[in-house]
Amino acid sequence: MLARDAWLELRGRVVFWFSTAVLLVALAMAAFPGLFTRIGPNENCDLRLSKHGPASGAPFGYDLQGCDYWSQVVHGARASIVVGVSVTIFALLISIVLGTIAGYYGGVADAIISRITDVFFGIPFVLGATVVLVAFPDHGIWAMTLVLVLLGWTTMTRLMRGQVIAVKEMDFVAAARMLGSGDRRLMFRHILPNAIAPVIVVAMLNVGNVIAGEATLDYLGVGLQYPDVSWGLQLNIAQTFFAGHPHLLVFPALFLTATVLSFLMLGDVVRDALDPRLR
Amino acid sequence: MRVMRSRAAALAVAAIMLSGGCGGGSSPAGGGKEANAFSVALTEPDHLTPGNTSSDYSITVLDTLFETPVAIDAATNKPVMRAAESVTSTDQKVWTIKFKPGRKFSNGEPVTAQSFADAWNATAYGPNGWTNNYYFANIEGYDELNPEKGEPATDKLRGLKVLDDTTLQVTLTAPFSQFPITLAYIAFAPMPKAAFKDLKAFDQAPIGNGPFVLDGPWEHDKQIKVKRSPTYTGDRTPKADAITFKIYASRDTAWTDLRAGRVDLMTTVPPASTGEAKRLLGDRFQQTPDGTMDYLGFPVFDKRFANPDLRKAFSMAIDRQAIVNAVYDGAFKPMASLLAPLVPGYRENACGEACTYNPAKAKELFDKAGGFSGTLTLWFSNADPSYEQWMTAVANQLRQNLGITDIKFRKIPASDYLTTLRERKEDGPYRNNWVMDYPSPQNYLESMWGEGNRMGWKNEEFLDLIDQANSAPTFDESIPLYQKAEDIALAEMPMIPLWNWQSQVGFTSRLSGVNVTPYSKNLYTISVKQG
Amino acid sequence: MYAARRLAQAIPVFFATTFLIYTMVFALPGDPILALAGDKPVPEQVLEVMREHYHLNDPLLVQYGRYMLGVFHGDLGETFTGQPVSELLQDRWAVTAQLALTAWVFELVVGIGLGVLAGLRRGGIADTLVLAGTTFVIAVPVFVVGYTAQIVLGLNLGLFPTAGTEEGWPGSYLLPGMVLGSFGLAYVARLTRTSLVENLRADYVRTATAKGLSRRRVVGLHALRNSLIPVVTYLGVDFGNLMAGAVVTEGIFNLPGIGQQVFQSIQLQEGPVVVGVVTLLVMIFILANLAVDLLYGVLDPRIRRARA
Repeated sequence: MLARDAWLELRGRVVFWFSTAVLLVALAMAAFPGLFTRIGPNENCDLRLSKHGPASGAPFGYDLQGCDYWSQVVHGARASIVVGVSVTIFALLISIVLGTIAGYYGGVADAIISRITDVFFGIPFVLGATVVLVAFPDHGIWAMTLVLVLLGWTTMTRLMRGQVIAVKEMDFVAAARMLGSGDRRLMFRHILPNAIAPVIVVAMLNVGNVIAGEATLDYLGVGLQYPDVSWGLQLNIAQTFFAGHPHLLVFPALFLTATVLSFLMLGDVVRDALDPRLR
Repeated sequence: MRVMRSRAAALAVAAIMLSGGCGGGSSPAGGGKEANAFSVALTEPDHLTPGNTSSDYSITVLDTLFETPVAIDAATNKPVMRAAESVTSTDQKVWTIKFKPGRKFSNGEPVTAQSFADAWNATAYGPNGWTNNYYFANIEGYDELNPEKGEPATDKLRGLKVLDDTTLQVTLTAPFSQFPITLAYIAFAPMPKAAFKDLKAFDQAPIGNGPFVLDGPWEHDKQIKVKRSPTYTGDRTPKADAITFKIYASRDTAWTDLRAGRVDLMTTVPPASTGEAKRLLGDRFQQTPDGTMDYLGFPVFDKRFANPDLRKAFSMAIDRQAIVNAVYDGAFKPMASLLAPLVPGYRENACGEACTYNPAKAKELFDKAGGFSGTLTLWFSNADPSYEQWMTAVANQLRQNLGITDIKFRKIPASDYLTTLRERKEDGPYRNNWVMDYPSPQNYLESMWGEGNRMGWKNEEFLDLIDQANSAPTFDESIPLYQKAEDIALAEMPMIPLWNWQSQVGFTSRLSGVNVTPYSKNLYTISVKQG
Repeated sequence: MYAARRLAQAIPVFFATTFLIYTMVFALPGDPILALAGDKPVPEQVLEVMREHYHLNDPLLVQYGRYMLGVFHGDLGETFTGQPVSELLQDRWAVTAQLALTAWVFELVVGIGLGVLAGLRRGGIADTLVLAGTTFVIAVPVFVVGYTAQIVLGLNLGLFPTAGTEEGWPGSYLLPGMVLGSFGLAYVARLTRTSLVENLRADYVRTATAKGLSRRRVVGLHALRNSLIPVVTYLGVDFGNLMAGAVVTEGIFNLPGIGQQVFQSIQLQEGPVVVGVVTLLVMIFILANLAVDLLYGVLDPRIRRARA
């Protein structure tokens, strides 16, 4: 019932169709890069064409290694999207569970979870990444995901906890409790749906944040490496050369921004559609 | 809430206004901009005791504070006298150093042969744990100061004999024709008696015999200031009154600051910005030769790399010029020699065909050598992003030119890289870098291809030639022998020469007389335009 | 009472953090002493002297125990270049604190301002602009933002000093502060907006409006105050984040703060420095979170009731 109403609402929104279209294209690039380019990652590179700008036959020009930039950017979608989405999902799950428990029960549970959160907050990004880099010398996509989840679940957990604390004192929760709802039912039927909105907003932002965070790890020398291709790696290389060769920065940044923007807009409209108070 | 917000807003507004005031006039207010002074971009030195640092940044500062017995002339790459008057020997084993009389440390203490002997003994004394300890290994008595186990019985090198106030006799363990040129290295600078009262304090505030003295404390990670020394009577009379070394954590930032006129001189303009530097600075951007080389080493102990033809095929499949152009904006020089161009005895094309890019020939040789199966792993450290960039280019070329499809990277944390190589954990070609200590073929060949080298490569004829060259009666006579040794190392190719670095010097229009050489930044020759 | 209990909890956290970080640094392979020497030959005896001096040959627990003993005597150890860690922290701490504070104030003022602007006119031009702008800031990695700001605002337009701390506060810290804060600003603006939009729809706002209160009063006193709970949580959390996350910003703008130091020390495997900095950071997180929890009560009386 709720889903049908939501669908009816969504159907009429231009933003919904637009962001869905962009995301579908991005996902298609990640899943089937062959649809967009015939050249494989790091293939057919001619170093003598290094950093040449857009020309006929190479709409995006060439990268530092003289590879066709269009196909490199297409291949970059996979790593970036997989890391961005999977990190956010894992981090969101952790934060919903821990944040709800801490906020709802309070006391010892809250103290333990909150203090663990503090400890994890303190671990420097670089140290965590360096340790993982050593533990997984391949440091491919999944090692990066692990680093970013380990260091990225804390903010959302704090937020979730704060929301639950605020919501659990509301009248409707008290009413539900008096009607005999158990803890689990209270948490997941009553409190969670009313507490989660800001966390979802942060999670959606987090997708972009994570993709950019992966790039920052690359910048610090502890990120992905050849033969992986990602937008983060491309931005990182572009940063050195972008004054003379702006196309190196523009194209991956464009794809990255469009993808992240679509995640955000989709998140916004879906939430609006699902929220009965809006209608 | 409202009160707090408005106060914060007012603070922000005030802050923006203040910065507007500062921003416009910031250039003349920068550090080291007093009348006759200039500033130099630097990375934080590790130590300022001459015996305890091999860092180029420390040496840049120490070069202004101290004077070594010998200096190296940039025009001839040969030793010239500085604190010493002469360095002579009849058998290349016992050397007599005469020092110039009447020199003083900046605290007024006279510089004598004993000051040199004290400094060298301290550096060679194992329990001090100083970095440059090894530079004294060929002086007699070194082993007694560095026993395998336990405390050394003495803290004086047997091979050092102070004959009088200005004469020091040095006895080596074996004839070594290159000895005079090694005396240009900072580890051979003297130390005053005052230093040994508190070595830790000396490291923070060294007292030297050079043209400048420290002005105020070493402000860690911010700046080091030096001013003209009142007691200096040597040849390097400074043109400027004072120098401020401004400390930067990143050369990119230093480059931005140079363009903004906030620092006057830097010697490490990022290679990727070469084109920009040429355009912006014109003749205030200078590329000077440098002794630093990059190589690609092979784990010869791994039998997959045991065939010299395979190693040569790799060498011929790498387009050095294209890589240098792409990654280093053409700033570095592709090499067909194991020695840097400024080293006496350098031959431009010592390597010949084996270092010339030729994909067809490379593939032919590669197939003849039996090809390569399995995963090819390339090893380097994460110390600088450009390593990964050129390794990627190498990987792409090996794939395209030799058909090796399965290539992986091992990017090692910088602190673990050398341990990895030392323990021979690498199972594929690795980045090898060499920073020159003194311009002698011996410094390259014996250090990297000699006994117990990283590659696990061993050639009796090579070792024999190095021994002969080391005991040759003169420097000039040693050269052909070193060259023969180099030929062997090239024919076997356990390590491929890639390119030679350049010093990239940039400075503001306030300065003139900049004369940076591979051996010294020569900051004393710089004068500041007035007004 | 509540605050005292929270402060007492800091003690186990202190031990857990120091031990965890010490273990992580310890777990890194490689020989930091050998790495210090670079490519140059250093005799084994010299390396051994150094290792002994820094107790690197001891097992983890002994090293940790020795470190903790030192800490209680006020000795935080020394760096590989012989500088006492306590002295180093003092110097660097001031830099990072000034930077983080600048960024934080920027986030707080501009972020909430933009969020309110967008939330009040949901779907309007201001809203769209804020949403698009914040997305862009989040999607672009901080090093790109940093370099671009440095080149354009610092070098080309000359509005700010390009790098260094010579101008002191605020001159030297404004631009890096804005770069560092831009990221959190995007979060704060979006959180404020979402939360405000929700609260404007709530019954009590409708009631207040129906009662005839002016819009300004309804928004300012009721809706905004209730909307700030997630924002305050975020800001509290983020103050610590700013301190820890300054690695890149401090690097680009050459500010010798703790972020830069931690990065260098991790690369050098200087255990005492990393542990010292991180422990201090965690203590700040604990205080910031305590402040946030106390603020909940101020913002929402129901929570205060519940706690008492």
